[in-house]
Amino acid sequence: MTTLIELTGISKTFLTEEIETRAIDSVNLVIKKGEYISLSGQSGCGKSTLLSLLGLLDSSTHGSYKLEGVDVSSLSRDQRAKIRSEQIGFVFQSFNLISDLTVFENVMLPLTYQSGLTKSVIETKVQQVLEKVEMSHRKDHFPSQLSGGQQQRVAVARALVNDPAIILADEPTGNLDSKNAETVLTLLDKLHQEGSTICMVTHDPASAKRAERCLEMFDGRLIADNINVKNNATAMPTPELAVG
Amino acid sequence: MSTFIDIKYALRLLFKAPKFTAMTLAVLIGGLSISLFTFSFLYSTMYKDIPLPNGDTMLSVNAEFNGAFQILNSYEFSVIKDQQTVLSEFGVYDKNDFRLSFDDSGKNVFGTYVDEGFFTFSSTKAIQGRTLQKADMAANAAPVAVISSQLWKNDYSSNKNIIGKTIIVNDIVTEIIGVMPQGYRFPGSSHLWLPIKSSMIKTSPKNANIVYLYGRIKPGISKAKAEQTLSQQLNALYQQSVTQYNLEKGTKSVQLLTFPFAQMGGQGTIIFTFLNVIAGMILLLACINVGNLLLARAIERQKETAIRAALGASSHRLVSQLMWEGIIITVLGGVLSVLLVGAALHYTNIILHSWNADALVFWWQWGMDKETLLMAIAFTLVTIFLSSFLPAWRSANQDINTTLRDGTRGAQGKKAGRLSRYLVTTQVFLVAILMLIGSMSAYVSHKFVNLEMGDDYSNVMTARMDLPSNKYPEAQQQIAFYQRLMADIKNHPKVVDVVTNNWLGSLSLTLDGVDYTDENSKPTVDTISVIGSTDTVGVDLVDGRFFDHQDKAGNRKVAIISQSMANRYWPGEAVVGKSFTLKVNDNNEKLFIVGVVTNRMNPATMLGKLNSADEIYISALQFMTSYQILYYRISGNLINSEEIFYQALYKTDRTIDLFYAVQPAEKNRGLMRDTMQLTSNLTFTTGFFALMLALVGIYGLTANSVAQRTHEIGIRRAVGATDKSIVQMFLKQGAKQLIIGLGLALIIFVLIAFGFNKMSEGIFPAYLYLVIGATVVIGLSVIVMLAIYAPTRRAVKMEPSSALRYE
Repeated sequence: MTTLIELTGISKTFLTEEIETRAIDSVNLVIKKGEYISLSGQSGCGKSTLLSLLGLLDSSTHGSYKLEGVDVSSLSRDQRAKIRSEQIGFVFQSFNLISDLTVFENVMLPLTYQSGLTKSVIETKVQQVLEKVEMSHRKDHFPSQLSGGQQQRVAVARALVNDPAIILADEPTGNLDSKNAETVLTLLDKLHQEGSTICMVTHDPASAKRAERCLEMFDGRLIADNINVKNNATAMPTPELAVG
Repeated sequence: MSTFIDIKYALRLLFKAPKFTAMTLAVLIGGLSISLFTFSFLYSTMYKDIPLPNGDTMLSVNAEFNGAFQILNSYEFSVIKDQQTVLSEFGVYDKNDFRLSFDDSGKNVFGTYVDEGFFTFSSTKAIQGRTLQKADMAANAAPVAVISSQLWKNDYSSNKNIIGKTIIVNDIVTEIIGVMPQGYRFPGSSHLWLPIKSSMIKTSPKNANIVYLYGRIKPGISKAKAEQTLSQQLNALYQQSVTQYNLEKGTKSVQLLTFPFAQMGGQGTIIFTFLNVIAGMILLLACINVGNLLLARAIERQKETAIRAALGASSHRLVSQLMWEGIIITVLGGVLSVLLVGAALHYTNIILHSWNADALVFWWQWGMDKETLLMAIAFTLVTIFLSSFLPAWRSANQDINTTLRDGTRGAQGKKAGRLSRYLVTTQVFLVAILMLIGSMSAYVSHKFVNLEMGDDYSNVMTARMDLPSNKYPEAQQQIAFYQRLMADIKNHPKVVDVVTNNWLGSLSLTLDGVDYTDENSKPTVDTISVIGSTDTVGVDLVDGRFFDHQDKAGNRKVAIISQSMANRYWPGEAVVGKSFTLKVNDNNEKLFIVGVVTNRMNPATMLGKLNSADEIYISALQFMTSYQILYYRISGNLINSEEIFYQALYKTDRTIDLFYAVQPAEKNRGLMRDTMQLTSNLTFTTGFFALMLALVGIYGLTANSVAQRTHEIGIRRAVGATDKSIVQMFLKQGAKQLIIGLGLALIIFVLIAFGFNKMSEGIFPAYLYLVIGATVVIGLSVIVMLAIYAPTRRAVKMEPSSALRYE
């Protein structure tokens, strides 16, 4: 498997009212294409911050970040936005759909920020991903007219529509009941089987076990990197994981 | 306890957002202050009781004829006085201008001829001497006068032995018998009170004169009943006169008005309502802004409100908790507005009294009073209802379940967003209209202030008089009076020349050799009768000659026309010697042109050009009227030059009353210009205030709208939107509102400009309207776009991860 993401010595420090908080502390991480990774740890350990850095929603204080071999840690805001629209898909715990847009329009959103796509191409892609998450029949509804599970499936569709290199999911089942959670997790499993790279932050051990590689964080550091037994029958720290 | 916690929480929120608090407060103070000032100023002007003992029962007795305000005449007074049973006091007075002479100089003062009941009616006694009594009214009584405290102090150095001293009033030696208390100037701005003689109250319906009446209703009788009874008597009297003297048919009724209200010609309610409605609209604009800002805050806290509701807070509790922020800010705004308006009224009072103290009626005193304070409380309560209760009620009655389970947190609701957009569009429209009409008004005011009149009133004095028909019934007598008066004035070494004239109105013109289908198809021309040469007032001769002593009755009737008329009807021709027919006093008079003079501004085409309308001058020796306006030009300065006229008048006939005091001809025009300038400044200041109010509102609405969409911005950026695309998205949305608001305003402006251009005969070039329109469009677009860009840029600068966490 080829390397998709390579983090070297990544740190993120927040300065709030002169109090310095180190949310991410010298993390080194390699993610291969096609991997399904879970990221867990107790609250405040830095999982979501790491995911934001991986998704270029935020920039690191120190360290280097390579995406498909390209250093993206010092890109401009617009260059980062371009990468997000073309190579990254997000699924949030609180869905983060825009209430004034329909399901179809919400899913279409990342494509509207790409140039050179015709209307028919966009519509075909949106239709395909909505069918994949079985939400095409609700495409003209507004988010407030959907259940939590349905909203999250739409959010997954939005994350897929730009054929991203990686899907970043921040506790995608955190706001869902077990039935809806299972639906979303099955969807992610299916995407992984189809070749998608997924990195999912989760609290739930059962959800974490569905990934082939389980990372664990504590106080801003990666403290464990296990290969899931079910998927690969081994559980050992990988050489790429060096806790700094 | 819970209220205390709510107040503490509201204060914390206000301190947490100082910019929001300051902006909301500024909007509120602006709206409240304009409304409060307008109310207080107009209320004090029109509705306040006269500051005299029993002032609330003092009434001015007036008439209404076919819906129009009228003053009763002396005949009607003399008949009704004997018939009426509803008034305990009913008397007569007549306002006038008096000349006080001191050796070779003098001064004009406002005064009143009053009857014996006048001072009892106003419940005021003299501080020295006595007031007027019945014996003073007798025809053969010695001339006496009561003077004001101000006159006594300023002109007689507070002489303690003033009683019994004599002064010269209208050239009559008059004994001072009393001095009134400080501030007493009833019935308006009098400094002098003289007895009204029975000869001044003509009791014959044929020669009745206008008189002013006062009255007080008997205890136990309602005002409506008194009006009804007096109206029946007055109307019966009028109906007799209609048949007897062939008067205009109609119904006459009595109106019992307060003196301040009568001062406004009985039209106070319309003016009061109209101006208060405009001020109320500004307050409403402020309420919309503040209400929307508070609503935006409530929407931001929707989740918090839902959590409180979920935890068991009742609607009442939620509304009250949400309202405290608005209540605190509104009450604070109310208090600051009261202070601001108090100061503004105080300075307005000083300015107006220093500007023209003698012309102001004594009850016009502006300042903070009980009524204004009560209205401030009422305005504050209305503002609390509109801008605090309604948003709080709306927010408190949200669907808790939806809000709590809504994964689209923080995003503005569809309805709230639409409402916000409508409000921005409405505000853009209002501001654009204000700016467009304001710019045009400013230009018109500028034009008025610098109006080219076509004459020269510098160093010219003027006097207006009407000769009494019983003393001067024949035209020849009137001519003799005016010629003697003019000769006496002209004899003075300081006088350059004298002219009298009288505008006869627009008379029907028939040109020789032209066929007219009917009387209505004939042109009409402003006609002025003249004795003397018009170059006295700067209307100079271009061709031919001025009138002379030969142009009298019995000789060929002559006319002088303006250059514009000559060019209009005889272009390129010599007009002296030509003739036309003019309908003067219902007679078609053939007139021969003897001269051509320069053009002057006609009252009917005040906004037109000098040559928009024509003038015809006819010789007053051939077409005499008893009313004349006399002008005399002085060489050197005008100091004491009014005395020249009075000396000549007293020499000719001392019994003639003037319509107005002799004054520089420029004075009225200057007063008009000053009034125009003041009105223009007031309009501009109020308009500018309203403009700032609306602009702050637009900025606030946009800033809050953007703030509420910060989370949405985060989502859009998370899925790849660039900074530029986000800013463009907001600017595009703002541009839509701007285009709609500006478009509607421009349509209305085009209609107004079209109508105005037609009315003003294209005096303003067409490009001016384009310049005004373009300036407003560009200026407002830049301001609105900046108001949208600034908060959007701020929101975009936030990292997407922070924006996604933004509450």
